[in-house]
Amino acid sequence: MSGDESKKANTRWVVMTGLLWVVATVLGELAVAAIEWHPFGASREARITDDAFDLLMVLSVPVISFVLVMGGVALVRGRGGVIDEDGPPVRSHRLFIGGWVVLTSALAVLVIITPGFSGLDELRAEPVPDLVIDVHAERWNWVYTYPESGRETQGELVLPVDQRIMFRISSTDVIHSFWIPAFRIKQDAVPGQITTTMVTPEALGEFDNADELRVQCAELCGVGHARMWTGVRVVTEAEFEEWLAGAGG
Amino acid sequence: MNILRGLVGGALGYVVGAGLMMAIRSSAGGRAWEVESVTAGAWLFALSGWLLGVGVWRYWARGWFGRDVAPYTATGGRRYLDFDTDHKVIGIQYLVTFLGMFFMAGLFAMLMRWELMGNGEDIVGPDQYNSIMSLHGTMMVFVAVAATVGAFGNYVVPIMIGADDMAFPKLNAMSYWLVPPVLIALTASFLAGGYDTGWTGYAPLSVQSDVGGLFFNLAFFTLGLSSIVGAINIVVTVVTMRAEGMTWTRMPIFVWSIFVTAILSFIFTQFIGLAMLMVVLDRTAGTIFFDPAAGGSPLLYQHVFWFYSHPAVYIMILPAFGITLELVSTFTRKPLFGYKWAVGALLGIMSLSAVVWAHHMFTSGMAEALRKPFLASTELISIPTGLIFLCALGTLWLGKIRFEVPMLFALGVLFNFLIGGITGVFLADVPVDIQLQDTYFVVAHFHYVILGGGIFGLFGATYYWFPKMTGRSMSDRLGKVHFWWMMIGFNATFLPMFILGMQGMNRRVADYSPDLESANFAVSMGGFFLGTSFVIFLFNFIWSWARGPAAPADPWGSLTLEWQIPSPPPHENFTSPPLVLSDPYGYGDPDSVHADLARDGAKTVVEK
Ligand SMILES: [Cu+2]
Ligand SMILES: [Cu+2]
Repeated sequence: MSGDESKKANTRWVVMTGLLWVVATVLGELAVAAIEWHPFGASREARITDDAFDLLMVLSVPVISFVLVMGGVALVRGRGGVIDEDGPPVRSHRLFIGGWVVLTSALAVLVIITPGFSGLDELRAEPVPDLVIDVHAERWNWVYTYPESGRETQGELVLPVDQRIMFRISSTDVIHSFWIPAFRIKQDAVPGQITTTMVTPEALGEFDNADELRVQCAELCGVGHARMWTGVRVVTEAEFEEWLAGAGG
Repeated sequence: MNILRGLVGGALGYVVGAGLMMAIRSSAGGRAWEVESVTAGAWLFALSGWLLGVGVWRYWARGWFGRDVAPYTATGGRRYLDFDTDHKVIGIQYLVTFLGMFFMAGLFAMLMRWELMGNGEDIVGPDQYNSIMSLHGTMMVFVAVAATVGAFGNYVVPIMIGADDMAFPKLNAMSYWLVPPVLIALTASFLAGGYDTGWTGYAPLSVQSDVGGLFFNLAFFTLGLSSIVGAINIVVTVVTMRAEGMTWTRMPIFVWSIFVTAILSFIFTQFIGLAMLMVVLDRTAGTIFFDPAAGGSPLLYQHVFWFYSHPAVYIMILPAFGITLELVSTFTRKPLFGYKWAVGALLGIMSLSAVVWAHHMFTSGMAEALRKPFLASTELISIPTGLIFLCALGTLWLGKIRFEVPMLFALGVLFNFLIGGITGVFLADVPVDIQLQDTYFVVAHFHYVILGGGIFGLFGATYYWFPKMTGRSMSDRLGKVHFWWMMIGFNATFLPMFILGMQGMNRRVADYSPDLESANFAVSMGGFFLGTSFVIFLFNFIWSWARGPAAPADPWGSLTLEWQIPSPPPHENFTSPPLVLSDPYGYGDPDSVHADLARDGAKTVVEK
């Protein structure tokens, strides 16, 4: 092949790779959109977290498909190499390297870090609670206290819907972690420290209907760790008041 | 023989140390014998006794007192059981020891997957499960940290830079002989009933754990000692022992990756030693580093621990990056694309790795203000990591590709690390991490990085350098079967784990809710499939070593120096010191010559 022809052939491969990348990205995005990634979510925090996850998913598709398509095309095109035939001594390519560096840096700073920050800000917004609940972790169970009424429960965490709730979390023995999968909140319980996390439940429900409505210990705390969980029940405000007063059992 | 001497020395050391500890204890008015504090103190004496007995005294320390050191007489296979100072012997010692540890820890993983195959606690109780899980994690971390650096950092790096050995051969032997005490401590831990803290050993759980936990602390501490000694050696070797003309920009990228890894290991390993030591002191000496009731802080442990253990992730993965780029260049017969960018990427990852540790602690209760900086620094690591992919893709493009077994593993590293890296971006995003922290999503992520990246790299390196190390070829067909079996098994095991984590399965549990059963069953099947793939490797490895056909000096047509000398290389590596003329990536350039290996004698110039 003359220099001109090989240049032409090369351009054809580049164009084809680009087209394949576009196709793979479109297909990938469609697949990502079609799949339901998240388990049952029932809080304001779940919406924020799931949105953040979805955004990262949308962004990953072109990155993954680029590496796979470019690598795959190179492998198919170059297959059947033999030990005494060298490839071209290409050591650098200004446009490819420059474009790569600019794009990946922009991706990291603008499209990954910035939404990470704003998601975090959103989680921290609305810092004034309507209701405070003390959560105490002890090997291997959870104790919930409602300081305003003095009511203390174990075995089930009862919460009013659409209220801003702050959990004050403590532990006496080792580190545990207060996790409610349906709410997408998790906060370690550290001996000697009170940690806090906030949530606004947005849907009624209980563990019997949704496995994700549970308080699960998420930090290894010894032999009973796997079983250190209780159900969560989200009720209307009226039901909650009734329950708090002692009538709701 | 020397192992026997080492064991006797270790036992004597233990007795002396225990006596001393008991004297101290009773003079302080306590009960003389208490297994933990006596053992913790005696460990350092036992370690010294072991080292002296195993060879330090006879071959080295006698000289410090003006005596003649004993002549080294071991030959043939016995050299591998002795205090041998040849970097090639030490490299093989590391490879075999850590492959053995890898398979042992893999058996533990099989046991875990057996338990998790069905809902409920069927095979082992939660207590035993925690012990098995902890040992699996600990041993695999040890393998990932030490196997590639120890085996190929020792065997290949000195030859690649044109040296006849490491800078400190005796120190090198010592760093290897610090590994058997690690195995002894792990065995002691197992026999004492294990420990239930995972490899992370978070305080205060670890302070309260049974005596098995103490042996875990001592094992990690001792491995850290070995790592630091080995790292100093590699750094000094690369800085001072390069052949004439082997400038920094002519070094093979694998040498760069091991050099950068050694710097990380040299700087950060002391912090894991410190974390372990503080736990041991809290357990035995009444210190209160992590006891909140007395003013200590449990979070302090996590900061010190991750200050090492995040950089440790790069200690595990950077050598695999180096191998991958080296192999991609060899098997495309093209120069490494963007060499300086690859070096810059390694240095960038090295620097950033120091400032990201708290991304493991987003839900830990650390100050809220720390979340954003650590989110940002962690996401920034994607830039230098991306450069590694840039260099790999740029090299593959227009390459004349040979799908040899090592190349398949290099491509495996790229594919697996792509998934491992991108899911790392998810976990660095604080809101997402709050949900996924401590779930199987994290388990899947770090297995993609460490097993899919680091260990695939280790196997690629093993297939690649096996002919050089043994002078024999491995079976190509079995190698390919092993690769595809392992690759499919790996992805079948760990891809569904992401889903399990998103569905709410937390890590380190022997039991889970019933709705997760079918996915767990699938993961277990994948795990068993993955596990059996190593039978093929083991057979190929052992059989080829004993009976494989003789390998030529340069079976892959690679240009780096180790391939220009016989397989296996002679004791002093080169007959005369090489003169390096250009970098080892002169593919496609007929005039390029990497090195002149015979400048004193007949001019046999190494051409491509
Ligand atoms: Cu727990
Ligand atoms: Cu990390």
